[in-house]
Amino acid sequence: MTTETAKGDAGARTAGPRALARQRRRQSVVRFWKQYRTHRAGLAGLIALALFALLALTAPLTFGSDVAGVTGAPGQPMESPSAEFPLGTDRFGRDLLGLLVWGSRVSLLVGLLAAALSVAIGTTVGITAGHFKGAYATVLMRITDWFLVMPTLVLAIALATVLPRSLGTVVLAIGVTSWPTTARLVRAQTLAVESRPYIERAKALGGGHWHVMSRHVLPNVMPLVLAQTTLMISSSILAEATLAFLGVSDPNVVSWGGLLQDAREAGAVSSGNWWYLVPPGIAIAVVALAFTLCGRAVESVLNPRLGVGR
Amino acid sequence: MTADAPSAAAVKAAAPAVRGPRARTGTRYLRYGAGKVGGAAVSLLAVLVTGFFLFRLIPGDPVKTMTGGRPISEEQLAAYRREFGLDLPLWEQFTDYCGKALTGDLGTSYQFRAPVIDKISEALPNTLLLTGTAFVLYTVLGIVLGTRSAWRHGGLGDRLNTGLALTLYSIPSFWLGLLLIIVFSVGIGPIPGLFPTGGMESGSEEGFAYVLDVAHHLILPVVTLVAVEYGQTLLVARSALLDEMGSDYLTTARAKGLRDDLVRRRHAVPNALLPTVTLVFVNLGRTVAGVILVETVFSWPGLGGLFYQALSVPDLPLVQGLFLFFAAAVIVMNTLADLVYPLLDPRVGR
Amino acid sequence: MSTQKQHSRARRLLAAGAAVLTLSAGLAPQQAVAADGDKVLTVAVAQSVDSLSPFLAARLLSTSIHRLMYEYLTNYDPGDARAVPALATEWKSSPDKLTWTYTIRSDSKWSDGQQATAEDAAWTFNKMMTDEAAATANGSFVANFRKVTAPSPTELVIELKKPQATMTALDVPIVPKHVWEKVGDFSKFNNDKDFPVVGNGPFVLTDYKPDSYVRLKANKDFWRGAPKFDELVFRYYKDQDAAVAALRKGEVSFVAGAPALTPAQAASLKGEKNIHVNDAPGRRFYALAVNPGAKARNGQKIGDGHPSLLDQRVRHALFTAVDRKTIIDKVFQGYAVQGEGYIPPRFSSYFWKPADGQELAYDPAKAGQLLDQAGYKKNGDGKRVGKDGKPINYRILCHATDSNDKAIGQYLQEWWGELGIGVTLNCLDNVSDPWLAGTYDLAFDGWSVNPDPDFVLSIHTCGALPATPKDTGATDNFICDKRYDDLYAKQLAEYDPAKRADIVKQMESRLYDLGYMNVMAYPNAVEAYRTDQIKSITTMPAKAGNIYGQDGYWSWWSATPADSDGSSDDSGSTGVVIGVVAGAAVLVGAGVFFALRRRATAEDRE
Repeated sequence: MTTETAKGDAGARTAGPRALARQRRRQSVVRFWKQYRTHRAGLAGLIALALFALLALTAPLTFGSDVAGVTGAPGQPMESPSAEFPLGTDRFGRDLLGLLVWGSRVSLLVGLLAAALSVAIGTTVGITAGHFKGAYATVLMRITDWFLVMPTLVLAIALATVLPRSLGTVVLAIGVTSWPTTARLVRAQTLAVESRPYIERAKALGGGHWHVMSRHVLPNVMPLVLAQTTLMISSSILAEATLAFLGVSDPNVVSWGGLLQDAREAGAVSSGNWWYLVPPGIAIAVVALAFTLCGRAVESVLNPRLGVGR
Repeated sequence: MTADAPSAAAVKAAAPAVRGPRARTGTRYLRYGAGKVGGAAVSLLAVLVTGFFLFRLIPGDPVKTMTGGRPISEEQLAAYRREFGLDLPLWEQFTDYCGKALTGDLGTSYQFRAPVIDKISEALPNTLLLTGTAFVLYTVLGIVLGTRSAWRHGGLGDRLNTGLALTLYSIPSFWLGLLLIIVFSVGIGPIPGLFPTGGMESGSEEGFAYVLDVAHHLILPVVTLVAVEYGQTLLVARSALLDEMGSDYLTTARAKGLRDDLVRRRHAVPNALLPTVTLVFVNLGRTVAGVILVETVFSWPGLGGLFYQALSVPDLPLVQGLFLFFAAAVIVMNTLADLVYPLLDPRVGR
Repeated sequence: MSTQKQHSRARRLLAAGAAVLTLSAGLAPQQAVAADGDKVLTVAVAQSVDSLSPFLAARLLSTSIHRLMYEYLTNYDPGDARAVPALATEWKSSPDKLTWTYTIRSDSKWSDGQQATAEDAAWTFNKMMTDEAAATANGSFVANFRKVTAPSPTELVIELKKPQATMTALDVPIVPKHVWEKVGDFSKFNNDKDFPVVGNGPFVLTDYKPDSYVRLKANKDFWRGAPKFDELVFRYYKDQDAAVAALRKGEVSFVAGAPALTPAQAASLKGEKNIHVNDAPGRRFYALAVNPGAKARNGQKIGDGHPSLLDQRVRHALFTAVDRKTIIDKVFQGYAVQGEGYIPPRFSSYFWKPADGQELAYDPAKAGQLLDQAGYKKNGDGKRVGKDGKPINYRILCHATDSNDKAIGQYLQEWWGELGIGVTLNCLDNVSDPWLAGTYDLAFDGWSVNPDPDFVLSIHTCGALPATPKDTGATDNFICDKRYDDLYAKQLAEYDPAKRADIVKQMESRLYDLGYMNVMAYPNAVEAYRTDQIKSITTMPAKAGNIYGQDGYWSWWSATPADSDGSSDDSGSTGVVIGVVAGAAVLVGAGVFFALRRRATAEDRE
């Protein structure tokens, strides 16, 4: 029954409905990419991200996995930049360039996971609140509003203090406190989607809540979720750095925020060892900016009325 | 810190309650206001509950922490528990705490042996000075630059403006603060150390010299806060104005022969301003986060520093009190913004 | 028209802003000489004051301030730390050692003009003995007192329940009775509302703003002689880097660091003109404590220390695999001395080091053998297996705020990892909870040692254990060893210094062999001050000693200002010049900005 509409399509004489759907999806991806390409800032962000991803993924090849080892540290503590150590050494005599590259793995990972968690919560809350109206939605949105005005850092610090120190805690603390924006966005989109006639039809044809939410609403909010995730990664990376700087992260893991915290504890700020302090901060800023640029470009391709990128 | 991504859509969705009453009749407004105040009350209650239970989860015995590992007998420990009401069942502690919190009694700090409310009121003016100055500056700066950007959107100025805002927005505030200290406090190369490295006052000035002294200490922390926060306002103001610019009345205004500049200043900007200001209030939570970091880096004797210090002890009553205070402050400000909004926005009555 | 007006208003605002900037930038950095010609000594501190009431204060900064505000009965000689007269000019004990009589000096006046008498001292002690709240900070000193009386204004008599060795080292600030008897609830009174606070020490507390500053004025009538500086200000820098930067700029005269300047900071300050880095042997030991299967005095078990650690061979193996030289070279970068006995070498009469055969020198191969002998063999994965069949993994308690803990923790992870032993670093802001609960295997531990080692020795006796698991004891690490206890009792009863020192060394030897307290290093006290503001200052001990956190008030009392009138004026005017230049630059910039803007508007108009 539901395949009828697909069959009626004129262009589907030879291809089955699945192939058709695939083709259509491919077309929309191509269209998306064509439009995305026109956003120069977004493109720059994408290139920067690709570079960082490459660096992070190839770290085991370029800098071996013993960069973080303290007993076999190659240099003297706090060496200034030289040919051997382009960014100098840290307080143990480890190569700071290697640490920076290795740190990207943790920072990116935490950023991705926390953003994924946050967006997952936000999407679930948003879709269900938009789909089931009434008291359930009211309560849910009340909670969302409450989280929205909470000072998130205060909440995240509190959470990170309560739980044992680990990367998981950091991911959780960021994810659990940062979802409300996504929830609001997704709910608004859900309401818009559900008012379209074909949803009515799907409901009339006996589509249950799950069917409507997963088959019709979710695909339609997906682009928005994608944009939101990209933006959320940027703020999650900043949040990770912040928590590490405040010392509530796992001190044994090399991350950019952790490097900054190390630099501060070693007194690099006042002793003029800029090479300890400056590169991790720039790395954080560049990656956060790159994700933001990508997110804004995606957003404006999907919804030109927002007037973001022009 | 985390909630608000610098996207126009996010910013729009972040406005929880910018929906005014449909008609601006007195009763409607009252009902609307009551709804807002009621909602705020519920939120405050939720904060009260969270504050109590969240920090009860911190492992360890607060009394043993409080006595700092000094030798102490079981009887003395019990006496302390009685003194701080920790011997009561949890629910009784909770009702006790709620009752007291409503009368402004937030308990006694373990480490300072002073009422929490005293510690808060001691540090509050300092934080207000820092936050208030930064808040006004970044709001004004964001709106001015944002409207200019929107008016000539797509131009070089706009691109530079948004680019700079996004870049500063992506910089960790504590890192920026440390760099500013290195460059402008200590001095680097030809730049002399112009500003104090931390604190709020030298402690030896009086009268007008004191005001100048505090202003002198205020500059770097405020610059840091403004730099990382104004981008948000800029983007909101920009997109609000871009929305507004599509409106018919602006075309009419222009058709009347009004100068571009005037159209912007008299018509477009005021209309775009209200949602912007409201959203600025929504983002106060982020500013609180910024304040904690900036106060830590610049040794500013305010609430942020106090909170961090209380957490590391942990000084439960103080942590709890500050958590309540931060959350309540943001909720109250938001509610005020909600209440004032329909009175000011000419379109809400439409 | 209206554009015009707005522009000029904006310009005026900007000009005003620039003016404020100019003026404030023009303020010279705080110098040793204040505007009214007073010599000010500014000290950078980070620790918050917990209370200014001497009955409540426990933190180092607060107790140091009390040293400056109030006289104690006795003080410690800056040279050799023996007891010297302070409020008491002389003291003697009765033959049965149960009655001590102090002669109180008659030339010490409270800052409100009243005479300080034996009555004040007696009242202070009696208050602490009768009011539990007043005993919060220093109650342990009077726990053994039977009766304190003041038969005359110059005579104080203390009767004891049993002999007490610390009677010439009673670190209790004596407060003026006529002021303090008006205080109601001692548990809530913080002594920080009415300034100046009446005292009789070398300085008088005149102002305090939490986390901003503590200000004291020199007591010109101080019986030992007035301090050379007119004012002493403790100013807050929560960030150590900011404090060092402030020193470099001359905003402060002295930085101690908490607990010390970092090697990088010290190294960079050493090259600086007008700054002296005081790198003195420290009074602290820095050790790795091992949970000895914590028990209460009643024999009940506390916590869950790893059972394998009860084997002395395992403890020795672990410490044999610790390369103390690397710790000194890499972590402390030379600003510490390699650890040996329990008491730091600075206290030379009590310093002990292990004999050749006794020493647990760095030898990873031997460590492996010891573990094999103890029966903890490696499994197929190269991990040592405990008696329960599970791979051994030790939890090390570390202070999240101490970067040395974290750094050495990483080394331990790798050294012991080589041995086949897993390590989990448990870095917390608040370590006292798991510590008191005994839920750790190893822990980073450190104490500041007093000239009299009694306290740091006492914390390892069985008597210091908590009575039951629900109490808190004075014990440091739950150590309880019969032989050590016997030696402890013996040294307490020994009044011949040389013989006592000998017994103390035997105790250190025993402690070393037990392997529950493994001293890794004696960190130096690394502090720095501006020589163009402080000409000279007394360290303690006088030769190669520290300045901040001394046992007396010597450093701040003795500090003499440098004649820096000329130079400070100089930098003052430099500041003004810089400020004016900066302000002018801003104004010019603003002018250019508006000029460009107006042109732009003009273009639009066409």
